[in-house]
Amino acid sequence: MSAVAMPSRRRAIAPRFTMTRELTLVAVTVGLTITVGLLNHDFVGAQNLRFMLLNSVVLSLVALGQTLVIAMRGIDLSVAPILGLAAMVCGLLAQTHGLSLAAALPLALCIGLVLGTINGVLVATMDIPPIVVTLGTYSLYSGLTFIYSDGTQVDAVSPTFAAFGNGHLLDVVPIPTPVVVLLVILALCWYVLRHTGFGRAVLAIGNNASAAYAAGLPVTWVRIRVYALSGMLAAFAGLMFLCYTGSATVTAGTGDHIELQSIAVSLIGGTAIAGGRGNLIGTVLGSLFLSVVLTALVFLHVPPIWYSAGEGLMILAAVQAGFGRRGARA
Amino acid sequence: MSVSPTVGATPGDDLTMAKRRRRLFSLGGWELSLLVLLIIVTTSFGLGVPGFFDNLSGFLAMTSNFLPFGIVALGLSLVIFTGGIDLSVGATASLAAVVAAQLWATMGLNIWVASLLGLAMGGLLGGINAAVIVLLRIEPLIATLATSFIYTSAAVAVAGDSPPSGFPDAFNNMGSGAMAWGSFQFPYQLLIFIPLAVLFWLLVTRSAFGRKLVTVGYNSEAARYSGIRVPRVLAAAYVISGMMAALAGLVLSAYYSAARADMGDVLLLTTIAMVVLGGVSIFGGEGRMGGVIVAVLLLGLLRQGMLIAGFSDMVTSMLTGAILIGSIAIRNIFSTRVGGFGKRLLALIRRPAIAGPDATRHDAP
Repeated sequence: MSAVAMPSRRRAIAPRFTMTRELTLVAVTVGLTITVGLLNHDFVGAQNLRFMLLNSVVLSLVALGQTLVIAMRGIDLSVAPILGLAAMVCGLLAQTHGLSLAAALPLALCIGLVLGTINGVLVATMDIPPIVVTLGTYSLYSGLTFIYSDGTQVDAVSPTFAAFGNGHLLDVVPIPTPVVVLLVILALCWYVLRHTGFGRAVLAIGNNASAAYAAGLPVTWVRIRVYALSGMLAAFAGLMFLCYTGSATVTAGTGDHIELQSIAVSLIGGTAIAGGRGNLIGTVLGSLFLSVVLTALVFLHVPPIWYSAGEGLMILAAVQAGFGRRGARA
Repeated sequence: MSVSPTVGATPGDDLTMAKRRRRLFSLGGWELSLLVLLIIVTTSFGLGVPGFFDNLSGFLAMTSNFLPFGIVALGLSLVIFTGGIDLSVGATASLAAVVAAQLWATMGLNIWVASLLGLAMGGLLGGINAAVIVLLRIEPLIATLATSFIYTSAAVAVAGDSPPSGFPDAFNNMGSGAMAWGSFQFPYQLLIFIPLAVLFWLLVTRSAFGRKLVTVGYNSEAARYSGIRVPRVLAAAYVISGMMAALAGLVLSAYYSAARADMGDVLLLTTIAMVVLGGVSIFGGEGRMGGVIVAVLLLGLLRQGMLIAGFSDMVTSMLTGAILIGSIAIRNIFSTRVGGFGKRLLALIRRPAIAGPDATRHDAP
């Protein structure tokens, strides 16, 4: 990156820039909610608002990890099968062996850690392009899910799981538990990316990996850790998916193309696909926006076959809007 | 398809151009290893798995199961040469095939006319991709991701509740039939693939367009300054990729004798694997068409062999993933150009040889 571009680069790290992207997303989401709400009052009912919020949590969790990876100029397509495998393993063990939620959590995180580390080691030490590595591990991990499930599926987990996925942390405050969990994880990730050496190293590698290496940053080690983190978040999202839906099938995650959705949401949130810039709050707002749009399509009686087209148009519009502003500022 | 010897090149560029041309013409080390691997795989399956190679006709007939992937891979490699990617190939294949089938079923068009319109539809969809990438300046990965969502919806909408099926036999033959000379049978799919493979190989190695394609992928800024109309080259790559995807979709619908809207979904990941395994750099500007063609046969025959040997579909695709990663890893380990592990490994081997004379020289005085 040339010296001329430095000021805008510096501004990219400053909180003010990210706030504009976040405010835009909030404004668009609220505006859409009110517009559709005027057409159909049920849309702004407490029940539907809660549903839209809850519905975005799993995607948000996956997309937080994806944002870190993309900010480092990588990409992780294997998040979908990692989510599916974690949901399937925890779900089947809970269903057949009475695995408790307290034991399922470390188990899921371990699965994510191992699978994510495999991605990271392949990317960082073998110099294989991340899209190739995660494409390969995508079929490997979804194969593992298939073999492990052995044709069965999870449809009856204990009430503690469902309570975690749908209940409230405190009975007095009507905020669903998953939302609270998401906010805590968001805060942690945000702190790590903005205020730790590791986070700065992630952005530096995304901006220019050879410069980061020349500056003495442990590029290989940081890369491995980011992919491991992405795997853990995806696996945790898998556990959350299991708790929220109470079921898990072989196609959990991969069937919804959550890997593509998480990439889309990260970019909508203002993360640069070319690396060097990551906006975690934008990512979460982006997946909330996606959830609102998809629910709005249902309320507007759009035939289900067009949902995917709506998603595609939304990605184009959001990325295009981001480009326009970036161009104007530079 | 003529070779223009100088594309506004200075003498210095001539040298590199000549070097690049030689590199593109020759069958490099990677292609050679793929070819050796292909021979090993074919002979070991042929000897070890009954039913893999009973007679030549049966062996050739097996290619009908994977050649649609190969057709897509040919077009997709042009896009990857430019440093882009086309994630919409699967959706394009489905949409084009469904549109052609509906034109035949509801409007009573001749099936071949409908197929031609389907091909044009594929070109149009590729053109939309190119327009989004070039005019809106959106990254190819995001652009084609978004358009693939849109094309998928459109394909489902066009297909309707009951996807068209029961095409004329002449059309179905394109997917599953074979030309017969006595007892020898030659599948029509191979008859489509071989000329296309030769055409694409010539296009990339011997035409000005091919050279521009690789130059754009190598460095699009430099390509622009040397007078290449980068948007035009990109547009051509995406249009061709769309048309190849459409052709694969048509072949698939002939193979199944039905045009389903989710038919193309399986194409994407395997074709990317084929192109990358063929030695084309995912970052563009590097690779050879010959490698892609060998990789298509290698992955396809490997998959067929494993299926015949009794492995499940899932294990087979797991192995495809492992091969994809493993082959690139091996390639990088033995490549001196790429830094990192391979370089370090080679440095370990080489250091004594370099240090040897140095040490004696320092020890001498």
